[in-house]
Amino acid sequence: MRSTRLTASLAMVAAVFFGVTASTTSLRFLGDDPLVKEPDSQDASQAQASEIGDLYEMVYNLFEQPKYKPSGLRAQNINTVDEVPDSSWFTNRVTAQPLSAADLVRGPNVGAPPDPSKWVIFREKTSGVHPGFTARDAKGETWFLEFDPPYYPEGATAALLMASKFYWAFGYNQVETFLTTLDPRHVEFDPKATIKRPNGKRTRFTRDDLDEVLERVARRPDGTYRVVAGRLLPGKVLGYFRYEGTRPDDPNDLVPHEHRRELRALRVFGAWTNLTDLKSKNTLDTLVVENGRPVVKHWLQDVGSTFGMNNDLHEWDLSWEHFYQGDTTLKRLASFGFTRSPWQTVDYVEKPAIGKFEGTRFDPMTWRPQTATTAYMEMRPDDAFWAARRVAAFNREMITAIIHTGQFTDPSVEPALVNIMLKRRDKILRAYLPAVNPVVAPRLRERELVFDNAAVNADVARAPRLYTSAWFEFDNATRALRPLGESSSPTTSIEAPAALPNQMGSFVAIDIAADGTDYASWRRPVRAYFRRQPEGWTLVGLDREPDGNAGQVASLR
Amino acid sequence: MRTFGMSLAAALLLAGPLSPPAAAQSTDGESSRAAIVERSQADKSTKLRPYVPSGFEMAVTRVEKTMLNGTMKWHPFLEGAYTGAGFSPGVGYMTHVSPYSTLDVRGNVSIRNYKVAEAEFISPRLFHRRAELSVVGGWREATQVGFYGIGPNSTTANRADFAFEQPYAGARFKVKPTRRLWVLGGGADVARWSFNDPTGIAPSVDSVYTPATLPGLGITTTFVHSQATVGFDWRPAQAYARRGGFYSITAHDYTDNDSRFGFRRVDYRVTQHFPILRESWVLSLNGQASATFNKDGQQVPFYMLPYLGGGSTLRGYSSHRFRDRDSVLIQGEWRIMVNRFMDTAVFYDAGKVASQHSEMDFHGMRTDYGFGARFHTPFATALRIDVARSTEGTRLVFATSSAF
Repeated sequence: MRSTRLTASLAMVAAVFFGVTASTTSLRFLGDDPLVKEPDSQDASQAQASEIGDLYEMVYNLFEQPKYKPSGLRAQNINTVDEVPDSSWFTNRVTAQPLSAADLVRGPNVGAPPDPSKWVIFREKTSGVHPGFTARDAKGETWFLEFDPPYYPEGATAALLMASKFYWAFGYNQVETFLTTLDPRHVEFDPKATIKRPNGKRTRFTRDDLDEVLERVARRPDGTYRVVAGRLLPGKVLGYFRYEGTRPDDPNDLVPHEHRRELRALRVFGAWTNLTDLKSKNTLDTLVVENGRPVVKHWLQDVGSTFGMNNDLHEWDLSWEHFYQGDTTLKRLASFGFTRSPWQTVDYVEKPAIGKFEGTRFDPMTWRPQTATTAYMEMRPDDAFWAARRVAAFNREMITAIIHTGQFTDPSVEPALVNIMLKRRDKILRAYLPAVNPVVAPRLRERELVFDNAAVNADVARAPRLYTSAWFEFDNATRALRPLGESSSPTTSIEAPAALPNQMGSFVAIDIAADGTDYASWRRPVRAYFRRQPEGWTLVGLDREPDGNAGQVASLR
Repeated sequence: MRTFGMSLAAALLLAGPLSPPAAAQSTDGESSRAAIVERSQADKSTKLRPYVPSGFEMAVTRVEKTMLNGTMKWHPFLEGAYTGAGFSPGVGYMTHVSPYSTLDVRGNVSIRNYKVAEAEFISPRLFHRRAELSVVGGWREATQVGFYGIGPNSTTANRADFAFEQPYAGARFKVKPTRRLWVLGGGADVARWSFNDPTGIAPSVDSVYTPATLPGLGITTTFVHSQATVGFDWRPAQAYARRGGFYSITAHDYTDNDSRFGFRRVDYRVTQHFPILRESWVLSLNGQASATFNKDGQQVPFYMLPYLGGGSTLRGYSSHRFRDRDSVLIQGEWRIMVNRFMDTAVFYDAGKVASQHSEMDFHGMRTDYGFGARFHTPFATALRIDVARSTEGTRLVFATSSAF
């Protein structure tokens, strides 16, 4: 269905963001490369609310999406150093600066928590798997309240809270989320509160409607209910974003969403946190005013389907299979069910607050959300590597700090969850960090190139016997490369050749590869570009996995 | 969905970097990446349009909204007028008469020309969601109901048919005192049975039996039927379950207008689903027994005797293949989850009818076996296709409900 026009447009988008152009006369690197922030230069006030139906998205993702053939294209919103600039979608956090435990505990929360001394209900909850309401707290602020189901006491509310902090730290826009309490004795109903009935009409919200919800949720011994409260997002709600295409009514939305690296990377973050409900309805676009200009801001608004909490108590196959998979269907059909699937026998920690979440049999390569999105299918090894580096940035203390915010009554839950997260983290790192040449953060000093090996640093791969480098003078106008020499080192510090140019504005390109390693991908060089500036050599470009590595892409699927 | 990718217009807007425009030159003479992006955004801003869903998306969304908004009035109605009707295409029109209560007017005609037209009012949330009231009234006609004789040893060679038409009206009240597990039910209905000439190829019962040899033959009778049920139900849903069970006893009283064919009947049912390997397999067992009790000096009419045979009892036999005063049925299914929407199953049915309660045992049971496929939602079975084999041949069953 993709047209050649679209392919052409993608090439041009690529040109905009990471400087790959077909012209031999254009500049490879521009003055502000690498771009650190995607501009939102245009007034987006014409953007209109639109929706996507649950049924349509389900049907499409289940039966149309499997036919989709990934393009193999490099992500289109990355800058010239293979990174995702900050944008209305994403803000670099966990790898951009050290995040303290306090930072992580605070997460997306900037305002005060709700005042639960009184709740005034004015609407039912319209999305999410667990029951809830829309209500105002004693201070009159609007919140979306969600309860624990009786079979997962504390689990569902904790999952949403903890996941909001993980996803905030990854870089996504997250709703401010707090754990709080609802006491039915202190619940009132807005005189205009309504609820949609099966006949399609809205009628007054009654005490019985409240009771009906409370009968289906976990109740504390004192008669109160633990709830997780999400603050009403600012701005005008524009509906959900889609995992492919662009908003035709948003002038600033240039990159097709399936080619946004941060959306592709949800396959990795989702696997780590078990975000099985990857669908548009768990996202939101809002029109907000930033720098005096209306722009569209994109949110992952409901990340509560994490840590095994999306599953009904008896939904065992979630995270192991899509809702529908042709291959497993055929196997079970042909074998009368004797073809076993991992979910039939995997051991889970038998704790209600944890749900179906484990790390021993978990395999990030075979992890499955309920349905695949186009962005999920477009993920390439370099996207996964980028995501895995962010996962690697979480150490035990950071993970513990976030899990602790779940406020679990059972003291054994927190360490169990931390251990599962660590196991899953390590598997993700082992799967994705060595899968590409893991050279990162190259720095060129006067006569020395220094870099890091992300896989070795994460302790998921042995250092190669030797690092090799090929040095070139790079003509930014013609893209011509003039060899300067080669050098090698057993360490991540390599001496520069003597003929390094030193005039301001000159460029060098360095191919960095590894030798004496188990990983073939490490022998494929990463090319780093440096520009000579008064303060020294500045990294302006990094090509890790150019377009065309279809074999590597296939290995992820 | 995929059609909302970047348009040609947007693509052309992004051509800037191929020949960097003067406007994108920074003061130091180099182009600015941000300026190029901004120019592309400015170009797109001149060609904005609202998102236009594809025809498929609009159609599916319309269906979804119709279902969610209670505006789906017309619906298929495939439940036959009477057991053995065969495929029964029809329609119904359901409307809400209050936020939760519905009135459904429906009818169908089967491939055997069985007909039904009825209206049902359901109020599902009485007494703070603890009770459901159903009131139904209608008319039905069955044109070729098989009768093979009374007792377990009847033969297919002795098949005779009868036909009847029947106006009926009744009300049922179901109570879940704790909103879960315990089920109490009660109801009463009135129905008049009047008989016509059957239209099938088998001879009419009138030509084979006499009123003296077959109680109720040829006599138009109006029954008042009252019933009460106590049950324990911990299945997740009645119409599709992979775990839980349902145990119930229902007592019936049938009183006819001239006190000739009154009787009582007690139905026992035990259904249990045993999930294996996290419900990827389910061993489902079902046991049912019915026992009738004469009222003084009265007889059970032949057409109201408990029966076995048909799509949810002995599936390898014709509908109503065996009739007698009592019946016992045991069924086992090994259900295999193929995916979330489809199960396959192998099954075994065994049952017998008996003239005395003391004969309700496991000796001399008729058996069948087979396999099938079921298409379902989490809570209901949409289509069940079973192929069943018995000593009397192979039968294909299409149903819109689970066997048990």
